[in-house]
Amino acid sequence: MDLALNEQQEMLKKSARDFLKKECPASLVRQMQEDEKGYSLELWHKMADLGWMGLVIPQEYGGVGADLIDLVILLEEMGQVLAPVPFLQTVVSGGMTILAGGSEEQKKYFLPKIASGELIMSLALTEPGISYGLVNIATRATKDEAGGEWTIDGTKLFVPYAHVADYFLCVARTGDSGEAQQDLSLFLVDGKNPGISCSLLQTIASDKQFEVTFDSVRVQPGNMLGGLNGGWGIISQSLERSVISQCAMMVGSAQRVLEMTTDYAKERIQFDRPIGSFQVIQHKLADMLVEVNGAQYLTYEAAWRLSQGLTTTEEVSAAKAWANQTFQHACAEAQQIHGGYGIDMEYDLPLYTRQAEVAAQSFGDAYFHREVIARQLCARSGDSLSWR
Amino acid sequence: MDFGFTAEEEAFYREVQDFLKNEVTEELIKETEPGPGPGPHSRAFDRKMGARGWYCITLPKEYGGLGASYVKRFIMDDELTYHRASAVMKVAARIVAPTLLHHGTEEQKQYYLPRIARGEIEFALGYTEPQAGSDLGALRIRATEDGGDYIINGQKVFNTGTHHADYIWLLARTDPSAPRHRGISLFIVDAKTPGINLRPLWVIDGERTNEVFYDDVRVPGKNMVGEKNRGFYVVVSALAFERAYASGGVRRIFDELVEYARNNTRNGVLIADDPVVRQELGQMAVEVRLAQLIGYRIAWLCDQGITPEWQAPVSKLFVTELMQRIARVGFHILGPYALLEEDSKWAQLRGKISQLYRHGIRRTISGGTSEIQRNTIAARGLGLPRK
Repeated sequence: MDLALNEQQEMLKKSARDFLKKECPASLVRQMQEDEKGYSLELWHKMADLGWMGLVIPQEYGGVGADLIDLVILLEEMGQVLAPVPFLQTVVSGGMTILAGGSEEQKKYFLPKIASGELIMSLALTEPGISYGLVNIATRATKDEAGGEWTIDGTKLFVPYAHVADYFLCVARTGDSGEAQQDLSLFLVDGKNPGISCSLLQTIASDKQFEVTFDSVRVQPGNMLGGLNGGWGIISQSLERSVISQCAMMVGSAQRVLEMTTDYAKERIQFDRPIGSFQVIQHKLADMLVEVNGAQYLTYEAAWRLSQGLTTTEEVSAAKAWANQTFQHACAEAQQIHGGYGIDMEYDLPLYTRQAEVAAQSFGDAYFHREVIARQLCARSGDSLSWR
Repeated sequence: MDFGFTAEEEAFYREVQDFLKNEVTEELIKETEPGPGPGPHSRAFDRKMGARGWYCITLPKEYGGLGASYVKRFIMDDELTYHRASAVMKVAARIVAPTLLHHGTEEQKQYYLPRIARGEIEFALGYTEPQAGSDLGALRIRATEDGGDYIINGQKVFNTGTHHADYIWLLARTDPSAPRHRGISLFIVDAKTPGINLRPLWVIDGERTNEVFYDDVRVPGKNMVGEKNRGFYVVVSALAFERAYASGGVRRIFDELVEYARNNTRNGVLIADDPVVRQELGQMAVEVRLAQLIGYRIAWLCDQGITPEWQAPVSKLFVTELMQRIARVGFHILGPYALLEEDSKWAQLRGKISQLYRHGIRRTISGGTSEIQRNTIAARGLGLPRK
């Protein structure tokens, strides 16, 4: 057992923190909420120059070849500052999925472009009537028998950065067995395809999420990712990586909330003393510390298991269920401790409080993940009950 | 970063499991449950642990330990508690040994440590007094110098294990004129010394604890641990924070609840199919896992030479409050059957849920209340001011 970051990871963490502190202040986060694109191209290119987009992409495809733990450390720092960039979507939902399930041709085409920052991707998964998951996907892909092309029709919701996505990873129904495991295929769809239209969804966090309509969208057979009706396995594993990546960002965000609230409690004087000297405030902050650290431990362990190729469904869901509660609870207590200043929109805290709800819904809420764990628990056999 | 066991840790884990499969009996388990205290089976079990060097494995070899890592110790503690071979923390191995190692004289080390390592002697804490609970600095019991000895007079309360311990790890006031935290010294008192009288106190989970009366109890001066009037600081020093609370107990009862839900129906429906129960089990699974990760994190920090000043209170807080949360889920799953005592015809899970609930209440109080743990976490983990 070795729970330390190695030297490179420490360096990555420090350089990411320094860089983001300078390049991604809260003013940029606010500005991007108003901005049509919703991300700073300048920041994006600088991140690419630092090699971040290629961090987990193998060297042969233009990346650095690091593993998921390294990515988690980087994402934690991005979460600290609520970096408004389509990083998770492009690198994890897009790049890592292509790396895991794509053909050699697809890898050669997409991965170097992702690594260099010239390609933005987004996952088109959720649909009307679905909150999260792979069940009841209605978007359909049908094959044109003559040319072999696919035609996709359907509506996707909550697709992040859809308006700037160069490619979508679209989950579509191609089979009719009634079992999601056998009916889904994945498609890499060019964002400029004329059948695609995007409309912005106004969310609590003013982030960039879209309704995306696929209307007779033609896709070349070579852009199917994995085999026909073979999408489920690839996307299931991809979603586990996305869940953990989302957790890492939430850990960073919750750490920042705890830190700013602790600082505030030390400085804010009421009744002639810092409010942080009152036990009622101390105990809230102590509970936040317990929860935030717990979220980090659970996230790191699940990331480690994923990077080792170990079965990890329970651990991933445990991390997300806990991270959701942690980030939301941290924000709720932080608002209370900050009092009037905390509800002032010029203050940074509301940015986090609003983002906590978006993050909690992304890749499954706590109820979803607790149910996943329960399913695993009930499927276990007699003497292998314990986790270890 | 590597959350897995090394080959050596894995081998040790297997060895501990094999040992426990052979040695843990129903009689032993019965003795470790809250009640009158350890009996002959516990004593025999402790000696067997001691013979392997496992009773206090982190002690250096020269004092009879194995010089093993804290991670190994946590592996063992976690399995011991999972197998219900040890419900309570061993005071001698967990508090006395590390403190003596750092603050004891060589003579004290030679005299006590090897016997602790062999599992031959046990200590009881003598801290709490009627007016000094969370506020330990308010203790009044007096130790008056007399020649080279000290004479102890006064009263302690809620001193668990004093009735079967060989020694008492006693805090007493040696300078009433000094500021209150600076007039306290730490003593090792032979429990058989004349003048010590006990009155049993039975607490909510069925555990026996004691009122202890000291009437002219003579203690040799060489039994003082650390400097005179520095006892309070010795007790609350870093060494007291070496403890990671083993999570095996909560893991075990959780596993039993899952099994129960999978195999029993209520109102005609399999309990494990109830969506509310499934949410609760999902949540408890997360927290049981986290309790274990917190423990391993602390053990690993200790192995790095880092004092887990606020992480150890986190472990105490989280594991003991988790006991109450699991009991709450257990009450939901078992319904009114959870109310029944073990001997009842209709009792389920041998009455363990109501027992856990009562035990959880005791454990969030004893060894420092949850509120005191949160104070420590706030002060040491976040640097929040006292005033």
